Amino acid sequence: MTVLGDGAGSTTRAATQPAARGRSTRAWWHTNTGRRLTFGYLLLAPAALYVLLLVGIPFLFSLYLALSDASVGDQVSRFVGLGNFRAAWEMDTFRDALRNSIVFLVVAAIFKSVLGTSLAFLLLQNFKGKKLVRALVVIPFTLPITVSVLSWKWMYDSQFSVINWFLHKAGLIGGYGSESWPIWLGQPHLALLACIGVNVWRSFPFSAIVLLAGFTSVPTEVLDAARVDGCSFFQRFRHIVTPMIFPILIIGFLFDTVFTLSDLSVVYVLTQGGPGSATMILPMLAYQIGIQAGSLGRGSAIALMLVPLLFPALFLMLRNLKRRD
Amino acid sequence: MTTAAVPRTHRQKEIRRHLLLYAGMTPFLFIAVFPIYWMLITAFKQEPDLYRMGNIPFWFNLPPTLKNFETLFYQTNYGYWIVNTLTISAWVALITLVTAVPAGYALARLKLPGAENIGIAIFMTYLVPGIILFLPLSRVVASLGLQDSWWALVVVYPTFTIPFCTWLMMGFFKTVPMEMEEAARVDGCGQLSALVRVVLPVSLPGVLTSVIFAFTLSMQDFLYGLAFVAPGDQKPVPVGVPTELIRGDVFFWGSIMAAALLVGLPVAILYNFFLDKFIQGITGGVGK
Amino acid sequence: MSDLQPAPTVQGSVSRRRFLKVTGGAVAGSSLLTMLDARQAPAQLRGTTLRILTWSHFIPAYDVWFDKFSAEWGEKNGVKVRVDHIPHLEIPARMAAEFAAGAGHDIILNNSTILARLYYKTLLDLTDVYDGLGKKYGGWIPAAKSPIEVEGRIYGIPMYYILLPMLWRKDLFEANGLKPPDTWELARVAARTLKPKGSPTGMAFSHCNDANLNWRSLMFSFGATETDASGDHPTIDSKEMREALRFAKALFDEGMTPEVFSWDDASDNRFLASGIASWIHDAISAYRTTESTNPPVFKNTFVGMEPAGPGGKRVSVSAPIVFLAWKFGKNPQATKEYLAHLVDNDKEGMIQSTGYNMPFLNDSAKKPMPIIGADPKLQVLQDFPKIVAFFGYPGPYTPQIQEVALQFVLPDIFTRVARGTSVDDAVKWGVGEYRRIFAKHKRA
Repeated sequence: MTVLGDGAGSTTRAATQPAARGRSTRAWWHTNTGRRLTFGYLLLAPAALYVLLLVGIPFLFSLYLALSDASVGDQVSRFVGLGNFRAAWEMDTFRDALRNSIVFLVVAAIFKSVLGTSLAFLLLQNFKGKKLVRALVVIPFTLPITVSVLSWKWMYDSQFSVINWFLHKAGLIGGYGSESWPIWLGQPHLALLACIGVNVWRSFPFSAIVLLAGFTSVPTEVLDAARVDGCSFFQRFRHIVTPMIFPILIIGFLFDTVFTLSDLSVVYVLTQGGPGSATMILPMLAYQIGIQAGSLGRGSAIALMLVPLLFPALFLMLRNLKRRD
Repeated sequence: MTTAAVPRTHRQKEIRRHLLLYAGMTPFLFIAVFPIYWMLITAFKQEPDLYRMGNIPFWFNLPPTLKNFETLFYQTNYGYWIVNTLTISAWVALITLVTAVPAGYALARLKLPGAENIGIAIFMTYLVPGIILFLPLSRVVASLGLQDSWWALVVVYPTFTIPFCTWLMMGFFKTVPMEMEEAARVDGCGQLSALVRVVLPVSLPGVLTSVIFAFTLSMQDFLYGLAFVAPGDQKPVPVGVPTELIRGDVFFWGSIMAAALLVGLPVAILYNFFLDKFIQGITGGVGK
Repeated sequence: MSDLQPAPTVQGSVSRRRFLKVTGGAVAGSSLLTMLDARQAPAQLRGTTLRILTWSHFIPAYDVWFDKFSAEWGEKNGVKVRVDHIPHLEIPARMAAEFAAGAGHDIILNNSTILARLYYKTLLDLTDVYDGLGKKYGGWIPAAKSPIEVEGRIYGIPMYYILLPMLWRKDLFEANGLKPPDTWELARVAARTLKPKGSPTGMAFSHCNDANLNWRSLMFSFGATETDASGDHPTIDSKEMREALRFAKALFDEGMTPEVFSWDDASDNRFLASGIASWIHDAISAYRTTESTNPPVFKNTFVGMEPAGPGGKRVSVSAPIVFLAWKFGKNPQATKEYLAHLVDNDKEGMIQSTGYNMPFLNDSAKKPMPIIGADPKLQVLQDFPKIVAFFGYPGPYTPQIQEVALQFVLPDIFTRVARGTSVDDAVKWGVGEYRRIFAKHKRA
């Protein structure tokens, strides 16, 4: 997928526009440029308006909330400047949430890329039953998130976990009640891993498909030429394939990043942030404080904490993509 | 790989290649599919079957039953939920199509000043978390008179489908050769008809990709559905299942699994139908 | 679809409504009482709508009855009634959305998380209904007022509360010569004896409502308190609290397995139903679940009184269920009438909930109570109304306490101790958290 850019070239007609516009008796919007711009903005308008009205304005509202002491039940609130942000930093739980969110993102990304890439390679090959395999492998992504996470909750159950049953029968762990019986959602590190696991399970098929699309887009002539030149598989991969599919990788990666960082469902259903604050992540904390406890101001501040961090990174990456094009 | 003996026939080579591939695929299939299989079995299990320590999770210890499905259809509004889910997703896909496709074209082709920044801004909306958005959106929904109707979701879901689909279509349209468009213009087409008659048909895979993506994404929400739709017969499946099959501290697992499968599997099949187009779609987005 | 509010059709009814609004609460109250006594639907109710949001009761049959009951009331009074159900844990989010929208249901149920103090400026003042019902039924139990009273006015109608008694396996106890768990010490001895035999106990050390309720019951029974009578100062730093924590640590070490760190509200239900638990401290939903999934275990499961602490004190922290009404609701009259009618029939509600819903009114708490009065195994529940308390005991249920509960601070204190933190350190941490949360609310 290519990125924003100026297009492959301007229309020739614009270049032959009469220079002395003042002499033209046509109204601005009748000029070619005018027509093009009008047409363009008209096409853009529905999407831009939709997003501006339904996301942009609420976002400004949430900024206002983050800077005030609003609570869910109060119509009137006072400006408190950065007080909410400061208060958030002072919370142990907040620092844990920030750390966990980042760990979650990084670990999940690593797993998703490794699993996604391997699967994509496998799916590149031609074999019988490929369509069926592809069909099956996509299912985790298409199930509605609430129901699939609920199923995992039961699969991680401290007593009836199907995973534990399996590991026990395979002789890898002791029985129920023994030291080696994992309590997936009860031991701090395991719990975070369990949540990450569900996120990876859901998303790696998508990563694989996006990568697959990327791989199939690399023209075979280029690859063949490289093979003829004596490049090894890895050399080909690093120097030819990766740069060519870089745009796709970046977009997919960014998309997945924001979705993972703002996803509430997994932790909400599995652990509610527990045990202690081992799986507390920013959206969960923001929900707990902003909505359940009613302190909208503080909740908004927590939810928006990552925006200043991500915004520059995203901006730079997207501009970079444009340059590459 | 041994070089001592060259595999005798092409067929043997093929078989070996296939075996290796299957061996490689197995872990992935297992990871992806075993939970689904387990959900399938659980959907048909009797309730006491689930609560015995010694029971095998992967097969029936007590005879299978259709009771969970019965509960699902006769004691909850599941029938409504399915219809709502499909209808909502269809509408959202339509809205996304109608807004994202033109926007993608405009940003990709029409050299609009500030296009780059508008595009980035649209993507940035993903940074705004839903837990913040749902409150002001609640007011919007209420003032439109849509509170407690699934139409509220039709209005709200495009906020997270439009940005990605716009980018998708943008990437896509960039790969349509300019010559095609210019040829159409030379033939006398206006800008609009050039778009409709020439560019769109070529970009059909991308359009389908956007559609299927918007459709799937509409089924991944919980918070908006919870906040805006309370009546049982207006809920979509992702909201109805956790709200009516989890009662107090009692989970109706069998029915939950049944609900998941009945909506997930058909969508997966549908998805697969479009998967080729999807791949082509993303592929088509890369410079040819 | 949004409900269209029909315009008042009769001139007289409009002026009567305005008259009531204008002349204030006292008059409205007395005419309401008159209505309550006369059991007549005032003319202005006809043709209106009433929308109710309640939770998904763990007994599906109760919801069926509730919906039918509400519809029947509606028919009798010419009011179109609609009842919606969502899980109790999601109700705060829904309330926030309705508040932001300035529109929504007329009546909303709160379970455990009582948001009256948070929203009271936008809630209907229900003092008249509350007082009227109290007068009619011998008064409300002492704990009833706290969650819904703000500055002397009442903003909600308590409907029922949910007990968490002891559920214990008589067969296992008797086979090992153990006395029934009437005190916490006896419960601990039982767990200690039965764990090596494969029957440990379990109480959630995690972020769930049961943890909030259970550990408070324990600490209050040991004589500790959460806040002072004014509710402004946390009082968890006490000798009794430390004793309770030491006890909890011993109980965990001797009688439980580490799985309790991952438990949610339903885990102890499953624990009992699987036959493993020697005892649990949980609502009778667990008892009923076991009834349907494991009859042999059910036969041997008995319901016990809230265990006494070392000083003989018993406090049972329960989950209150309260109905609130929005001020922006379009049908305040029907709201009040309906709520009164619901309370009138709380005995029926208790029956339909198979004894789960405990009444807030003294008359209804008189023995014999429906279902639990008749069932020999459940009779002991009739003694609970005297010892019921809610979060914040002995102080009121304030937004600060609400946030403390929502952040599971108290369960976290117990969890830290169970995991090995010293009692003093855990208390110090807890006090810090309480202070931080209380300070935030003071600022606002």
